[in-house]
Amino acid sequence: MNMRKITRYLTGRQFAYVILLAMLVFNLIPFFWMLSTSFKSLAESFQTPPTIWPNNPTVNAYTKVLVYGNFPLYFFNSTVISLSSAVFSSLIGALAAYGFSRFFFKGRYFLMGAILASQLLPGVLLVGPYFKMLATVGLYDTRVGLIIAFTTITLPFSTWMLKGFIDGVPKELDQAAMVDGCSRFGAFTRVVFPVIAPGMVATIIFAFLLAWGDLLWCLSLTNSESMATVTLGLSRLVGQFRTEWPQLMAGSVVAALPPVALYLLLQQHLVKGLTAGAVKE
Amino acid sequence: MLKGERLNIKQKYQGYLFVLPTVFLLVLILGFPAFMAVVNSVTPIWSEGFSFTLENYTKLIHDPVFLNAFSKTAYFVGTTVFIHFLIGLPVAMALNAQIRARNFFRVLAILPWTVPDVISGLAWRYMLNPTQGIVNHILMSLGIVDTQISWLGNPQLAMPSVILAEVWRAYPFVMVILLAGLQAIPEQLYEAARVDGATFLQVFRYITLPQLKRPFAVALALDVIWEFRRFGVVYTMTQGGPGHATEIFSMRVYKEYFDFFNFEYASAMAIVVAGIMLLITLPYVKTMVSEA
Repeated sequence: MNMRKITRYLTGRQFAYVILLAMLVFNLIPFFWMLSTSFKSLAESFQTPPTIWPNNPTVNAYTKVLVYGNFPLYFFNSTVISLSSAVFSSLIGALAAYGFSRFFFKGRYFLMGAILASQLLPGVLLVGPYFKMLATVGLYDTRVGLIIAFTTITLPFSTWMLKGFIDGVPKELDQAAMVDGCSRFGAFTRVVFPVIAPGMVATIIFAFLLAWGDLLWCLSLTNSESMATVTLGLSRLVGQFRTEWPQLMAGSVVAALPPVALYLLLQQHLVKGLTAGAVKE
Repeated sequence: MLKGERLNIKQKYQGYLFVLPTVFLLVLILGFPAFMAVVNSVTPIWSEGFSFTLENYTKLIHDPVFLNAFSKTAYFVGTTVFIHFLIGLPVAMALNAQIRARNFFRVLAILPWTVPDVISGLAWRYMLNPTQGIVNHILMSLGIVDTQISWLGNPQLAMPSVILAEVWRAYPFVMVILLAGLQAIPEQLYEAARVDGATFLQVFRYITLPQLKRPFAVALALDVIWEFRRFGVVYTMTQGGPGHATEIFSMRVYKEYFDFFNFEYASAMAIVVAGIMLLITLPYVKTMVSEA
């Protein structure tokens, strides 16, 4: 009887709230701690035991990061590099996705498999040769070099994700457009492309987030302060001896803002894109 | 695909035209460097013909540091992915229950996943700081421990600490896929079970779990792939230390390249890592491609 009561509780709505409450605490503590620390003075951040809320909230850390530091430059680099590779890969990838979705040609399976497998290659396999290659052609420590490098991650990703969206568009639409006098390419740009526009946005944002969060490539393929991205800039702020945590957390808050904001604005699209393929239609 | 179209040769070549830019680009920026990694790994000598050696590979097998990276990677990926499911499934089930404010909970449940691993690494590094960190503070005020624990300085605790940061950041991904799977289970199945008087555990065992098979497999494959490549969280928290306690593959290969400049040896190491990766994920690639 008692056992039964326990299972009923565990399966009831009440227990669902218990789980979700625990989830909220776990998920939000690091965010809270980042925010709280970012408003503390340097002296307060070194207190033991730590204060939960800032005693004298100050925006000093933000001023330091945003006005005196190189952070605006890092932010600019990250934005330009991530956005370029995301948009570029998604446009080129959309073409390939359409080809894979609509045509059955020799080598189709092989090419698709190769593109998928290339996504699985660990970044460390490529950073070494890339370092040498970019140095040879004079693109080491440049934004263009990083854009090319990020395209190796974002292009296979975009191709596969967009193929999923294009598969969802009925082939009859293309046929109808071509009967009306459109070329194949016209059918793609004028009919299919507008239909998958929301999927395109989701893909670009995913690719953008992939590039935005990267550290390995920036670390390996740049060395000057003026080419650093936000992730690299942040990781350099961790000192060997004394780390200015309020400043570092303020920088982290700012660096986390674009991904978090994009997610909050477009969460419906993103979740749909994320789970496509996991659930059979 | 229309039958007439399949036979149409002009149509057939159009397919190649669409995929050509992507394929060409990937061969150039991905295939070529990957090929160069293979070439470098055998220390080629081009003068007077071509000769090479597999010495780097034989050295690898006996290199304790590489073998350590191997076991540390297994430890890191295995534990992280396991805990992702351990937390992800109950949260997904709770979100799938008849609850109020589901959208509110769902949005906040996914939030950590949007944060770059570098940032979650930094945030947890500060939270786990022995003297100023909030974790020790909470544990001590609750009376669970009575001395400050050096989470990242202790070889036994460093890896669990890194795993904690990565669990926090990435479990929502597994959760969201399982949630989509749960939502796709037809309501009739549950109703039929209810009519038959099935208990919760029976429903879970005979309906929920079998129906979740595919989302489970996809989440598992993708999560393993992503955790296998993980770099930023380790780099920002421990850089592989203390000693080699958290030195996973990506960290080791990076050091071999850019700290010690052993380019050829590092290439061999990276090739082996890539090989292991491809082997593990081959079933996933096969399934995805055969369905496409």
